Amino acid sequence: MSFFGFEETDLEKEKQQFLHGQLRSSDTDDLTVYTWGEESYDGLGDALEEGGDERNNETFGSTGTVGKDFDFSAATLSGSENLQPKPSQPYNDQPLKSYASRPSESQVTRPPAASHVSLESIWDDNSPFSLRMNGAGRTSSPSSGRVQSPSTLQQPIGHGMKQQPGTRTLQEIEAEMRAAAERTREHTLQRQLLQQQQHRREEEEYRRQQQQQQQEMELELLQRQRFLQQQQEQQLQLQRLQQQQILQQREQQHHRTPPPRMLPVSQSPRFLEHQRLLLLQQQQEQQELLRLQQLEEQLRIEDLERQMRAQQISHHGGSHLDHDRHPSGPTLADMEALQLLQQQQQREILRGSQSPTKHSAHDNGLYMQQPNIQLQQRLLSELANTEFLREMQGLSQADQEVLRAEAMRKILETEKMEEKRRRKAAKIAHMSRYNDIMTQSDKDFITRIQVSQLVTQDPYADDFYAQVYGAIMRSRMGLGSDDERVLKFGTSGGIGLGVPQRGANRRPNAMQRMQQQVERIVSNARRREEEKGLHSLHSLQGALGKTSGRSYKAAPRQLLQVDSNSSPTLSHAQTHGHISHQNDNSSGDDAAAEAAKLGREALGEQHNAETSDLVRKDPLSRKEVLVTLEALYDLVLQLEQLKRNQAPPEDEQATAEWQNEFKSVLDQTWVLLKVMVPLATSDPHPFISILSIAKGKKLLPRLTRHLDNQRMLTLLTLLIACFSQLDVIRNAPFLDNPEDTPDHSEVERQTQAFLSGVIQSILPIIAKGSLRLISGLLGLLLDRNDVVAIAKTRPGLALLTLLLTRVEVIKESLHNATNIEELPSPEDAEQWQLMFDHLFQLLTPHFPFLFPSSRTIDAAAGHIKPGMDAPDQPVWQFLAALALHAVTEQHQILVTLLRDKVLDNVVSAKKGWVADEEERHAKLANVDLFLHALGLDSSQIAM
Amino acid sequence: MLIFSVFKTLTDQQVIVELKNDLSITGVLKSVDQFLNIRLDNIKVLDEARHPHMMAVKNCFIRGSVVRYVQLPAEHVDTQLLEDATRREAQNPNKR
Repeated sequence: MSFFGFEETDLEKEKQQFLHGQLRSSDTDDLTVYTWGEESYDGLGDALEEGGDERNNETFGSTGTVGKDFDFSAATLSGSENLQPKPSQPYNDQPLKSYASRPSESQVTRPPAASHVSLESIWDDNSPFSLRMNGAGRTSSPSSGRVQSPSTLQQPIGHGMKQQPGTRTLQEIEAEMRAAAERTREHTLQRQLLQQQQHRREEEEYRRQQQQQQQEMELELLQRQRFLQQQQEQQLQLQRLQQQQILQQREQQHHRTPPPRMLPVSQSPRFLEHQRLLLLQQQQEQQELLRLQQLEEQLRIEDLERQMRAQQISHHGGSHLDHDRHPSGPTLADMEALQLLQQQQQREILRGSQSPTKHSAHDNGLYMQQPNIQLQQRLLSELANTEFLREMQGLSQADQEVLRAEAMRKILETEKMEEKRRRKAAKIAHMSRYNDIMTQSDKDFITRIQVSQLVTQDPYADDFYAQVYGAIMRSRMGLGSDDERVLKFGTSGGIGLGVPQRGANRRPNAMQRMQQQVERIVSNARRREEEKGLHSLHSLQGALGKTSGRSYKAAPRQLLQVDSNSSPTLSHAQTHGHISHQNDNSSGDDAAAEAAKLGREALGEQHNAETSDLVRKDPLSRKEVLVTLEALYDLVLQLEQLKRNQAPPEDEQATAEWQNEFKSVLDQTWVLLKVMVPLATSDPHPFISILSIAKGKKLLPRLTRHLDNQRMLTLLTLLIACFSQLDVIRNAPFLDNPEDTPDHSEVERQTQAFLSGVIQSILPIIAKGSLRLISGLLGLLLDRNDVVAIAKTRPGLALLTLLLTRVEVIKESLHNATNIEELPSPEDAEQWQLMFDHLFQLLTPHFPFLFPSSRTIDAAAGHIKPGMDAPDQPVWQFLAALALHAVTEQHQILVTLLRDKVLDNVVSAKKGWVADEEERHAKLANVDLFLHALGLDSSQIAM
Repeated sequence: MLIFSVFKTLTDQQVIVELKNDLSITGVLKSVDQFLNIRLDNIKVLDEARHPHMMAVKNCFIRGSVVRYVQLPAEHVDTQLLEDATRREAQNPNKR
């Protein structure tokens, strides 16, 4: 049934006809193309031009290779759900166009168009969404002048074939078929560009085709234009507002998604204008970049943007008007505007969550270039920062360098410090794991164990070394020895604390704690003792066997078990002592009185004793001497201990006991010292033997301290009588040997010990001795010894000098002494003079050889060794003392004999034959010692 | 007790402790107890090339039983007093 008088067609029926070959036979006579292979085939198929297919792609569009440069951003950005259904909308427009393109279609076929308009109006509100949708942004063809009827999508193939049997070309048929194929892809989202190109081509086909039906065409066009213009008017306002974004985005889009084959087809003026805008935009961007270089703050960027926007709006006013004036439908710009509007809105949504920098990038519309721009911005801001700093500091480059270096150094330092601090903290934290692992009671327990072993009955004796050493140190440092460094706990015991600590602050605390601990131990022990007594458990103790006692006691196990009482040497010494004791008994108590007598008399008496009951013995062996010495030391220590523990004077009984004890110990010592052994018992005398060892020499001062005057005199007498028996006198010639021999050093050591020990111990006796005593001692010395040999030794010279000096002192006191008792008798003086003359006479031939410098090997060779002034000094001193006592004739003898020696020294001193000033001074001082005694001076000696 | 007593006077002095493992350590004697355990401060091993592991050690506690010798500063030891103390110790056989 035909509606408008057209031939009625039924699609289904037609299809059936076609399939059964009826269609061809009934009404398509001229379509010979379908009849090849039959009798009626006219061979036209062979005449078909088969070549020239290479441009097919250009004509029909290629379905093979699809570019990768689709614009997915719009699709991805339109993520919000209210936009989802809209992409299908452009195709709703298509029916109108397809109907309009139909040649037989009259004006009456408007209802679908009207309905379309109404449909359109639904969407065509003022909302930007609808605008965007109507724009159908997917048709990106720039030749927008002819896009008003893009497709015939909804036109059935059969329709066209039936309506226009005579006028349709193969191209048309193909187009129809393609359109049909297109329809199947209608709702896929990926097709846009290809599709639209096809649409455009179809338009062109139809335009050619529609040249016959111009009127309908124009009518349709007018309608369409009117509609679109109206639409555009509505959009205009919004478009203006969004112009800035549109322009920017356009540029971006062109960079991003150039539609395929756009350029060859679209050399339209519109495109050129667009290019111009693009160029402008780029220039503006460059300007913006330039300005960006000077900016780093967001605010200023936005400021600029605002300015630019205003600029561009005014700038593009004209061009926009062109768009408006254009008679064709939605222009490309408009479509883009819509599309970009959507993007812009999308961005508006995102903006809230984006950083300011991104924000600004979006505002500038540099969406795709954003990373690039961001990088640039960062670089520029850094640059600006340094610039800013430079300006701020307003300093020269060098200063800046210095400052920078300083800053770097400081930073490094700080980092280092921080690192160090952190490491320290970590270490402390690591170690603090063990904090408080022992409780205070644990510590106290250990302290108790330790302290309990330190408690002794006699803290002083057990800590003897530290105690005495501390006392010595304190006295040396000039501190009072008031505080005892011993903790005493009642009478039971105590602890030696040793030397006081210097600068230890926690010491007193520790001390206090220890004291408390010890007191607790002591009280506990006492209580236990009492309990034992109470329960009489004592009898049962050890009944089950002994527990090993304090195996941890400090002292190590002794490997050598020597029974000291069964020692043969000691028994020997004891027997020896016993014998001497017997001897001592023989002489009896009068020995002390005997010693008190003057030397000569004593000597005489001892001579008598010698004749009576002298038991000649071998001298003490070295071993015996050592054993005796050790025994003496023990006794001396005992004496010293007794002295320290002297009972308080008010306790008479204790004092008497103490005195008895002290006396007995002292007597033992005296006996052991063997002073009272007869003089001729042995050579050397046992006492002298004891002094032959350095240890003995050192012992003497400690021992003589406790001896009374009588015993000291006896000792002195014995010493002087046996002076030449002393090792230091006998071995003195060794001192004349070169210094580096072992003998020399040994004798030197012994001599030093003798001078500091023995001479020091006899010094107080001689210093107090009367002239008679001195004369007696000198007489004894001259009588019993080879005084020349003695005088050639340092100890001998020291003794002689000592005696002479004492007499000199006595002589001095003669003149101003008031005490008659002190005055020596004339006989004593006469005696002394006799002794002195004798001494002088004995020494006269040997004066020059008293000097060690004259006795050396070098001196024998004729020249005096340098550096002998110190050894010579005692000799000069002795000679000076001698000169003081000498009379005039003796002076002359002295000067005559010593002339060479004196001159030697003076000349070498004055002529500078000396090593240094010190030596020169020593030489002159030595000479002057002697010359002054003669009343002369070295300066009087003329060269 | 004698040696303990002696060591008590040597605190804060520089000593050299020779151990039974041939290690010689010099350092400041900080404290000593009745077992002659020794605490040293500011130590330095004499032959550092042979004992590189000791280079970082700054102080140590030495058990008395591992000590072979202790070299004392001669100027801080009163030899005569030490002899006397030895004699005193020898006098009292019960104190061993």
